Amino acid sequence: MPQIKTQDFFDASALSIKDPELRQALQRVGTGFDNARREAIDEVSAEVWEQWRESARQIKEHTIDHLDYYLELLHDNVTKNGGQVHFARDAEQANAIVANLVKSKGVKIVTKGKSMVSEELSLNPVLEGLGTEVYETDLGEYIIQLANETPSHLVAPALHKTKAQVAQLFSDKLGVPYTDDIEEMARVAREALRGKFLAADMGISGANFLVAETGSLVIITNEGNGRLCTSAPRIHVGITGMEKVIPSLHDLAVFLRLLPRSATGQRLTSYMSMVSGPRRESDEDGPEEFHLVIVDNGRSKMLADPKLRESLYCIRCGACLNICPVYQKVGGHAYGWVYPGPIGAIVTPSLVGLKQAKDLPFASSLCGACREACPVKINIPRMLLHLRQELTESSEPAVNSTPALESILARCYTATMSHPTLLSMGTKLLKLLQIPVARNGRIQKAPFAPLSRWTRSRDLPAVPQRSFREIWRQELSGSNQSHQ
Amino acid sequence: MSSHRSTPKDEFLDSVRNALGRQSGSPPKPPYLHLEETLAQLESQAQELEQRVSDNLDALLSELAETAQLRGWNVCRAANPEAAIGYVESVVTGLKVGQVVRSAQEVFDQVPVERALQNLGISVVAIARDDQHTRDQLRNEIIASGVGITGADYAVSETGSVVVMPRLGLSRLVSLVPPVHIALVRAQDVVENLDDVFLLRRLEYHRNGGDMGSYLNFITGPSRTADIEQTLVVGVHGPKEVHMVLLG
Repeated sequence: MPQIKTQDFFDASALSIKDPELRQALQRVGTGFDNARREAIDEVSAEVWEQWRESARQIKEHTIDHLDYYLELLHDNVTKNGGQVHFARDAEQANAIVANLVKSKGVKIVTKGKSMVSEELSLNPVLEGLGTEVYETDLGEYIIQLANETPSHLVAPALHKTKAQVAQLFSDKLGVPYTDDIEEMARVAREALRGKFLAADMGISGANFLVAETGSLVIITNEGNGRLCTSAPRIHVGITGMEKVIPSLHDLAVFLRLLPRSATGQRLTSYMSMVSGPRRESDEDGPEEFHLVIVDNGRSKMLADPKLRESLYCIRCGACLNICPVYQKVGGHAYGWVYPGPIGAIVTPSLVGLKQAKDLPFASSLCGACREACPVKINIPRMLLHLRQELTESSEPAVNSTPALESILARCYTATMSHPTLLSMGTKLLKLLQIPVARNGRIQKAPFAPLSRWTRSRDLPAVPQRSFREIWRQELSGSNQSHQ
Repeated sequence: MSSHRSTPKDEFLDSVRNALGRQSGSPPKPPYLHLEETLAQLESQAQELEQRVSDNLDALLSELAETAQLRGWNVCRAANPEAAIGYVESVVTGLKVGQVVRSAQEVFDQVPVERALQNLGISVVAIARDDQHTRDQLRNEIIASGVGITGADYAVSETGSVVVMPRLGLSRLVSLVPPVHIALVRAQDVVENLDDVFLLRRLEYHRNGGDMGSYLNFITGPSRTADIEQTLVVGVHGPKEVHMVLLG
């Protein structure tokens, strides 16, 4: 698996926020993707959108609740189509399956379509270790492969990069003259990869959906690289998580309506490709072999926990990232692994371990925007709260990391609030202490930590001259009891 | 652990079953509606579909043309085969290409583009295997071509898509590798929406005892990307320019 840096969320966020180029890039997430999504929803009407969401959710709920049955059905029908299904419990097994295929079939060149699961598995280094050339072919993935980075967004992996950075990268790594003309850079990538597509022995793709009824793998793409990876080489390997299965081809329609609109605001992507086994004898072309690698890698843990199960409904559209006030500020890399944003804050702890990713459930203001944007109505805030609760209830000190000072303060607060005399005395004391720093009812700069850290970014309201208790006693309670 | 050696598949499905708190992978109850449909039911649904499409054909053709245009197709509505051939000629001559590839589909009997283009000095290669042509040779012909022309198995009004199902006579690469793709769509190829396409494919699948061919592609406009600064660029790994010729 790629290096896990989830434990550094807060430090990484602090750095991200200071990065002006990243801030600029992240601004486009809201103005670009999310606005386009809203427009696409308006076009079909909120009512119709809601019906689609509900129907998609029901399909996912049903399938995940009977996942064993549908995986078996899928297996049987892929096999009937002439394909081979491989089941992988973890990343190591999945990588070994692909590595064995590469070795036994004499594969020299691999072209890859976009696959988040292969990022999760860290497949490329394994294949490269065998002396195989591996080329990412989605433009965004190609960019981050050249830069030796990880994706920062589910749909647009190189979102964090400016065109000037890409231009420099292409000029350094591909030896082409520097140009920051985006069209020209896309042409450079086309030229660099065209020969690889045609020379590749193996194409690797992910899957957006797996159709149990017909044993089909479905990918939704825009560039055409997915079509090339699944058409030109003699072997096609699809790698995906076990949650991608849907029962019937009938069910695909609603997901094709929801996914592109939620991801980029497109009514449909340029291409939707459905692979049902290897080429038939009479076909003009296409791979001779089709392998499907179905990966668990921690997903059965989410399945086993009824409170986390719905995270397996995710169709990886990225809508929750685009709308999230935290993601919009810190970007994808701060989350420290493959899946960023609100859904990443749930999936990542389940896949890498809650202890390792203990900050991620707190990387949210629980505003609920993600839940509203989700095309399958995943209740992300509820699951974040659930994970927070698990963390606080954990007896392990490394996990339950409430600082000692915080516990002491909390105890003092409880004591004060439950004793009226103590409260009244405390208020009076604070009123005296704040005199040097309070102006117009606000404290703009507290003199010592930790309050000074708070006031660095916002004002602290000063203790008012008269407390509510006093106002109540003097004016509102109806009794004429005088001031004590 | 029992004495028999369990396969990775058994182990995998067992762990899924454990996670679900279940003993066996029995089918859901009540059964899933769409997996229970019989061939006769699918056939009757398909008949209704055909009736609906033929009743609304004019409107669907207009909707298809309009939506396709919005998705980036250059749309030509051709009243007759001569008009279609004329359009193809004008596109190809405008591009100044020396070689065009086409699939071997029925629609070319109706719209014989070959002779017209050859008269203009452009060579047209039909991509279909025979004793003289191996897969590798055909692939090289496709790579050497500036335009690929195919028919359509379906055209979808809802989405402005052309659906191609590669098989005998229809290479996967003709609509993909050349920088320009021209799709010839007949009125009989038109369906209203995504559900229609999937119903017809399921019908085919179950009619053939569980086979509907190896591959299916929806093509909805040109190849595009917005991976750099979310700026749209048309034409990355697939065709930059796509034309839909609507017959009828």
